[in-house]
Amino acid sequence: MKSHFFSLLFYVLAMSVLCVLIAWGKPFQVVGMFVVSGMAVGSLYALGGIGLVVLYRATGVLNFASGAIGAFAVMLAWQLGQWGVPAVMTWLAAMPAAIALSLTYGRLIAPGLAWREPVVKAIATLGFALIILGMTAFIWDDDVRKFSLPSDKQAVMVMGLRVTVTRLIVILAAIILVIGIWLYLGKTRMGLQMRALANDRNLSALIGVRILKAETIAWAIAGVIAGFTGLMFGDLIRLEPVVITFLVIPSIAAAICGRLDNLVQVLLGGLTMGVIESLLTLQPTLKDIRPIAPFVIAALALLWMQRGKQLLFARDN
Amino acid sequence: MNISRSGIIGLGLAILLFAILPAVSGGQWSKIFTSTACFTLATAGITFMYSRLGLVSLGQVALMGIGGWVMLRMNHAFEFPFEINLAVAAAVTTVFGWILALPALRMRGLYLALITLMAAGGVEIILSTYRFPNGGDGFWGVTSSVSAPFRRPELAQSDTAYLRYVIAITTLGFLLIEAHRRLAPGRAWAMIRRSEAAAYSSGINVLYYKAWAFGLSGLLAGVAGGLLAGTLGLLDPSTFRASESIMLFALAVVGGARFWLGAVIAGVLYRVLPALFNDWGLNADLTLVIFGAALLHAITTAPDGLAGQIINLFRREVKSS
Amino acid sequence: MFKATFCTGLFVAGALLNPASALAAVDCGDNTGKPATGKPIKVGGIHGNAAPGDFSSSTDAAAAYFKCVNANGGIHGRPIEYRVENDQWNPELAAQAASKLVTDEKVIAMVGNGSFVEMSVNAPTYAKSGIMAMASACAVSECFESSNIVSTNQGPLASSIGAAMYAVEKLGAKNISCIGLAIPSVGNWSCGAVEKYMESKGLKGSSVLLNPAAPDVNSGLLEATASGADSILVNLPAGLGIAFLGAAQEQDLAARYSWTSSTPLYDMSVPKALGDYWDGKIFVSAELTRLDGTGPDNMNWKAVMDSYAAKDDPRDTFSQSGYLSAKYFVKTLLAMPEDKLDDRAAVTEAMKGIKGYKSDLACGSYYVGEAKRHMPNHAGIMVVAKNGGFEQVRDCFNYEGPYFSEILETEKALGLN
Repeated sequence: MKSHFFSLLFYVLAMSVLCVLIAWGKPFQVVGMFVVSGMAVGSLYALGGIGLVVLYRATGVLNFASGAIGAFAVMLAWQLGQWGVPAVMTWLAAMPAAIALSLTYGRLIAPGLAWREPVVKAIATLGFALIILGMTAFIWDDDVRKFSLPSDKQAVMVMGLRVTVTRLIVILAAIILVIGIWLYLGKTRMGLQMRALANDRNLSALIGVRILKAETIAWAIAGVIAGFTGLMFGDLIRLEPVVITFLVIPSIAAAICGRLDNLVQVLLGGLTMGVIESLLTLQPTLKDIRPIAPFVIAALALLWMQRGKQLLFARDN
Repeated sequence: MNISRSGIIGLGLAILLFAILPAVSGGQWSKIFTSTACFTLATAGITFMYSRLGLVSLGQVALMGIGGWVMLRMNHAFEFPFEINLAVAAAVTTVFGWILALPALRMRGLYLALITLMAAGGVEIILSTYRFPNGGDGFWGVTSSVSAPFRRPELAQSDTAYLRYVIAITTLGFLLIEAHRRLAPGRAWAMIRRSEAAAYSSGINVLYYKAWAFGLSGLLAGVAGGLLAGTLGLLDPSTFRASESIMLFALAVVGGARFWLGAVIAGVLYRVLPALFNDWGLNADLTLVIFGAALLHAITTAPDGLAGQIINLFRREVKSS
Repeated sequence: MFKATFCTGLFVAGALLNPASALAAVDCGDNTGKPATGKPIKVGGIHGNAAPGDFSSSTDAAAAYFKCVNANGGIHGRPIEYRVENDQWNPELAAQAASKLVTDEKVIAMVGNGSFVEMSVNAPTYAKSGIMAMASACAVSECFESSNIVSTNQGPLASSIGAAMYAVEKLGAKNISCIGLAIPSVGNWSCGAVEKYMESKGLKGSSVLLNPAAPDVNSGLLEATASGADSILVNLPAGLGIAFLGAAQEQDLAARYSWTSSTPLYDMSVPKALGDYWDGKIFVSAELTRLDGTGPDNMNWKAVMDSYAAKDDPRDTFSQSGYLSAKYFVKTLLAMPEDKLDDRAAVTEAMKGIKGYKSDLACGSYYVGEAKRHMPNHAGIMVVAKNGGFEQVRDCFNYEGPYFSEILETEKALGLN
C-alpha cells in the first residue's frame, strides 16, 4: 500500500516536471488555458479507460467493443431527439440499448471463450465491435450531425477557459466511478465474487460463486458505463460512429497506465495524457505530432511499472 | 533434410500459384493478389511468434509501414535498384523489431500485446503526420504534387511479373521461418515457450532468442511493406492504422497460428474477401458486419483456426479411407 | 433512410415553389427522345463511400445524366455504359478499381470521380495510360496539379482563397488563421496558399493544422486564438468543421472573430447542426452556384435527378458537379467523329481541347487544355448560414492571389478562357 502511494506520487511528480519543461517560458495565462483544455480531453480518455478496466477486473475481458456500444447508444439518443422525444427520455432509452448490447456479448458469446487466453478474448470483442459499427453506419448514413445536452448551455470560467457543465460532469463522473467501483469490488460480496471470476472462472464455479449472476451484473455495469461514455464522446468530441468507436484505442492507453487494475492510476493517467497532449501545442517542433502523447506515456508507464520483473514461470503476468 | 508432407503441399501450392495466378489475373486482380501476398508474408511473421513463442504482436502492420517508408525514401533519394532498397528497408525494420523486443523481456500475454498496440498507435500518428515520401525534399520527402516515379525490380516491371516476384519472395519468407524452426533458434524458442525457468537453467540466452524472434518478425514485416510500396509506387497512412494491426492479428488467429496455411488464409481474408465484396457491390457497412460476424464465429468455434479445421478434415478423410 | 426523408422534403419543397420543375422536360444530349441501341461506349467512375464519408453523389448524378442521354439517342445512337467503382476510402481499393476500369474494362475516360484518396493514388496511372479523368468531387492537391485529372469543383485551395478574400474585403480581416487538415496535399497546400494571399495583400496569415483522427480540437482552437488573428477561416471537412465550431461556441467566440469557411460547410444539414448560435455569423464559400438557383442548368440538373436518379441520392454540391462533368463530357463526345469514339487517345485529345464551356451552375467557364495542372473553376459565390438554411451574400467573383496568377497566364497563353 505504501509503495503504491509512492509510485503514484512519483508518477504525478514526473508528469508535473514534464509539463513545466514543455511550457517553460510561455505566459502563465496561456499555459493555464491549455492545461484546463487538456484536462477536459484527458478526462474523456480516463472515462473510457475506467470503463475498460472495470470490465477487465470483473470478467477478464478487455472490451474493444465499448466504443462501438457507446456510438450506437449516442446515435440512438440523437435519433430519438430528432423524432421529438424529450431529452431525458432519450438518455434513458440509450442506456438500456447499451446494456442490451453489452449483455448480448457477455451472456451469449463471452462464456464460450472463457477458457481462451486474454488476448484472444479481447480480439473476439473486436469482431463484435465491427458488427455494431457496421450496423450503426448502415442505419445512419454519413451525414453531419451534432449531439447536445442541456448541460452544454451553462459554463464556468476556469483559468481563462470556459468549461461547460458537461465537461465538469465528465470529470465528476470519472471520480465517482473510481470511488464507487473501488467500494463495490473491494468491499461487497458481489464485487469479491467478480474478482474471483476474473481470476479463475472454473475454480470460482467450483467453490460456489454464482457465475451467471456475477457475469450478468458485470457486463450490465460495463454497458451502462459504455453508454454514458458514448453520450459524452458524442457531445464533446464528434457525433461520428467511426470516430467514437476507435476512441477505444486512446482509452486503452489510459487503462494501461493503471496496469488494467488500479482505477486511480487510470484516472491520473488519462488526465496527464490529455494535459501533455494539449501543452505540446506550445512547442513548435512537437506540436504536429502531439496526438502521440497518450501512446508514449502509456508505454513508458507500463515499462516503468514492470521494471525489475522477470518472467520465469509460465503463469507470470 | 526431409521435407514433411505439409512442406511438400506448401511448396506445391507456391509453385502452382507462381505459374498460374499471374496468368489468369487481369489488371485489378493482379494488384489484389500482390497485396494479399504481402500481407500473407507479414502474417507469417505474426503467426510463428505466437505459436512458437506465445508472444503477441499487435503492431505488425505498423512495422510494415516503417518498411514501406524506408523503401519509398530510398527509392526517391538515391538511384539504387529495387533489391537494395528492399534490403535496407528490411534491415531498418529488423532494428525496430528489436526495439519492440525490449518490453517483451518483462511482459507476456495481454500486457505485451498492449505495448505493441501502443507502438502501433505511435507509428500511426507519425505516419499520418509526416506521410510517406513521394519525391519531395527534406528528411520526410513529401511534396504536395503528384508522386515521383517508383523503380520496380528489373525482372518484374509489369503487374503480372511483379505478382510472380512477390509470390516468390513470400515463399522464401516461409522457408526462412521453417529454417529457423529446424535450427537452434527453433529449439530455443520451444524451450522458452515451455518454461523460461527451464530455458535459463539449460543455459539458453533468453534475451538473445526473444530478440531474434522479434527481429525476424520485423524483417518479414519490412520486406512485406517494401513489396507493398512497389505495388502502387506510393503508400497511404490509412493502410497502416493501429486498428489494421489488430485486425491482421485477429485474422491470423482465425486462420490458425500453428500452420502456414493459416497465414495464407489470413492474407486472403484480409485482402481478397473485402475486394470481392466490393466488386460485387456489397454495401461497405454490411461488409463490416459480415466480417465481424465471421471473425467472431471463427474465433469461438475454431480454436485452431480455419487451417486447423481444414487439416482435420483431410486427416479424418485419410483415416477413414 | 433519414436522408431520404430530408431529400423527399427538399424535392416536395422544390416542386411546390417551382411547379414547372416537377413537370419540366429534361435536356440531355441530342434530345431525340428515342433510346440508344448501338454498341455501348464504356466510361468509368470512382467514388468513395464508406464509414468516414459519402462522396458518391457525384457519380450518382453523372449516372443519372448518362441514363437520360441513353434515353435520348445516346452518342450518335450508341448508349453510354457507365461503370462505377467504390474505393471505400481505401487507397489499395482505389488502385484496384482504377486497374479494373482502365486496364481490364478499357474505358475511354473517367467521369464524375469523387473521392478523398483516389486522385492521389491514381494520377500517375491515368497519366501513364493516357486517359483523362473529368472529376467532380476533389479535395486533394494531386487532383488539381496533375496532367490527366481536371475537375468541375474547386477544391479546398480555391474556395479557401474565396473565403479569405471575402473576409478581407467585406469583413475587415487583417490577420486570418486558417484551420486545415494536417495533410500536405490538403491542409498545408490550401492554408499555405491563404497565407501567401494574405502576404500579397500586406496582411498576416497563419495556419493551424489538425490531425484528422485526433479527438481534441480544443488545442487547435487555442492555437488559433493565441496567434493574434482577428478572423478564422475554417477549412475542414464538414464533420470536423462542426466539431471545431462547436468548440468555438463553447468558448463563446462568435463575436470576437469574423468566421468564414471553405466549401465543405455548404451542405444543407450544416445550419441545423450548427444551431442558432451561428446564425448569420459563418460565411461559406460555395464552389458552384446555389442549390436552389433558377438558371436553366440548375433546373435541368434537378429534373434529370428527379427523372433518372434514386429518391435518396443526395442533391448536394457534388451532385451538381457530377452532372456538370457528365454534361461537358457528353458535349465533347457529340462533337467527335463517330469512328473515333472507342479510341481512348482520340477521346483524351478531344477532352484536352475543351474550352469556354459555360453553365449557370459554375461562375467561370470550363476548360482543360494540354497542361501539367488543371483548375478551371476558380470563381465562386459566398453564402451565410441563416434561418436554418443559406443566403447568398456575394455574387460570382474571381479569386485572386499568387496561386492563380500562373493559372491565369496559362489561360491567356492558350486562349482558353
